[in-house]
Amino acid sequence: MPSFSWIDYTVVVAYLAGTVAIGLAIGRRISSGRDYFLAGRRLSWWLIGTSLVATDIGGTDIIGVGGASYQYGLAVGNFEWIGCVPAMIVAAFVFIPFFWRAGVYTIPEFMERRFNAGVRSALALCWLLFMASNVGIMLFASARMFVTAFGLQFDGGLLAGHEITLCLLVTAALVGVYTLAGGLAAVVYTDVIQCTVMIGGCLMVLVFGLIEVGGVGALVERVQEIEQARAATTAAASAAPQHTALILPVDTPSPFPWTAILFGLGLILSPAYWIGNQAIVQRSLGARSEFEAKAAYIWGALLKNLIPLIIAVPGLIAFVRFPDLDQADNAFPTLVASMLPIGVKGLFLAAFAAALMSSVDSYLNSAATILTNDLYRRFIRPSADERRLLRVGRLTTVGLLIWAIGFGLYISQIESSGIYVIFQTLMAFFQGPAFAVLLAGLLWRRATGPGALVGFLGGIATSVSLFTLNQEAICEWLNLKPLFQVEEPFLFFSIWAFLVAAVLIVVVSLLTRREPDEKIRGLIYRRGRDAS
Amino acid sequence: MTPLHYIGDWLRSTLMLIPMGTVRVLFVALPVLLILWVLRLPRAATTPPGTECRRFENLKLWAVLALLIQVVIYALG
Repeated sequence: MPSFSWIDYTVVVAYLAGTVAIGLAIGRRISSGRDYFLAGRRLSWWLIGTSLVATDIGGTDIIGVGGASYQYGLAVGNFEWIGCVPAMIVAAFVFIPFFWRAGVYTIPEFMERRFNAGVRSALALCWLLFMASNVGIMLFASARMFVTAFGLQFDGGLLAGHEITLCLLVTAALVGVYTLAGGLAAVVYTDVIQCTVMIGGCLMVLVFGLIEVGGVGALVERVQEIEQARAATTAAASAAPQHTALILPVDTPSPFPWTAILFGLGLILSPAYWIGNQAIVQRSLGARSEFEAKAAYIWGALLKNLIPLIIAVPGLIAFVRFPDLDQADNAFPTLVASMLPIGVKGLFLAAFAAALMSSVDSYLNSAATILTNDLYRRFIRPSADERRLLRVGRLTTVGLLIWAIGFGLYISQIESSGIYVIFQTLMAFFQGPAFAVLLAGLLWRRATGPGALVGFLGGIATSVSLFTLNQEAICEWLNLKPLFQVEEPFLFFSIWAFLVAAVLIVVVSLLTRREPDEKIRGLIYRRGRDAS
Repeated sequence: MTPLHYIGDWLRSTLMLIPMGTVRVLFVALPVLLILWVLRLPRAATTPPGTECRRFENLKLWAVLALLIQVVIYALG
């Protein structure tokens, strides 16, 4: 495990203090709900695009992607390449302009204009539950990773044995302070710093690592040598060389067969994430113009092409240098410990903290936005003015943070080995159906409110049923073999949930009364009109 | 075995018949098709409104660049 000197800790503390100070400074300029939730619609494209990338890459992603690359190979890079770039380009030119022009605060709000309050509420509740819980999960998972991967430990005193709790509370306090003060603007500005530190820190690991193994060619050669050596001693298909391949066969032992990557990730989960995830889309709603909202997504897509190189390739370097690690997730920290000099290690620790904070702050702010706009303003106080919305927004941020701390501490007390994966799976439950609703709403004039609601709920029921039928205990009880033959088949859940939702939307829409033309005017994409 | 298992097994065995070379073509075709779509977008959808647009301000250029990188990645990867 890495050992840190006082210089490393100084770098981290200076970085954290700077981030909080910037967030607080921005908070002084916030005077309305619109400022708080949409940064007054004054954000420029490069801020938003960089923030999109920072939000998407969490602290657990850096360690997790490095670990997955160590264990399964470069195919995990698909999540940042085909799993991001095409969807971001389509979002930029087709969907984001619609949302920006509508002047809405949230995607569920747009869905009420297109469909009805039921669709808005169902979407808002799903996103709220997911995001509020996910903040707690991210706080806990990252605190645990901080402690275990970086070997942070108190040898005595009151805090000994409470390292995870302390890390969780400190992170929550730091993120909470600037998110509470500055809202979306603080989140986006600090994200830019965090993204820069994150890319810089990971880039150093990549460069030092490549120098140490002798360059890219030598890295590939040595990866293949290790795989061939393993293949010679293992007869199973799992020993087949796969670490340098991006596209894996259907019968791969890894969770990334090409079918799941292309159909589940590339065509469904990725567009659902970049077009329908409130935490992602919200910053583009705060753009100062429609053009800047589009440009932000294009800039984000360009940056995304770089990400696998700096977080997945180090996993391969670790595979070459330390092929016998007990846990794949230790690949990145072990590399950091063995290669980086004092001070630079601290910068990587800051990069990890940056990645963690940039995701937590975004989900916290977006959950508060949904709670305030889609529930409070919609159902409790429709006449609330901007100052009141600001107060409620800040109160809900505090409430959500307390909930997230409680939830994070709760799951730290129970068996938690698979909780992070379970929550990734939960997101797959409703992202496919939510994407079907979005697509139908924007591209198909005949889609109706009842169709959208039935399709959304039916899609969720499908993914939950598939998940249940794939559980070992259920299969044993029913004397069945599992439905899916890959590990963690959440990408497949999303495919089937999307398809069922789409069919239900079509059938129920055709059976129900069409939406009046005046209601949906300007809400349906028509290439000739909307792209010009 | 339920009908879902039979459907799943049939799909899996059918998809396994597709050669990996063809699969690679699919992965490359996705960004290529998007490049063609982006190039056909009206200029007004990709440039800032109301000003004389310089070449580097046209979002087509940067969107195509992002997608070309994808083509290279999946053609070589």
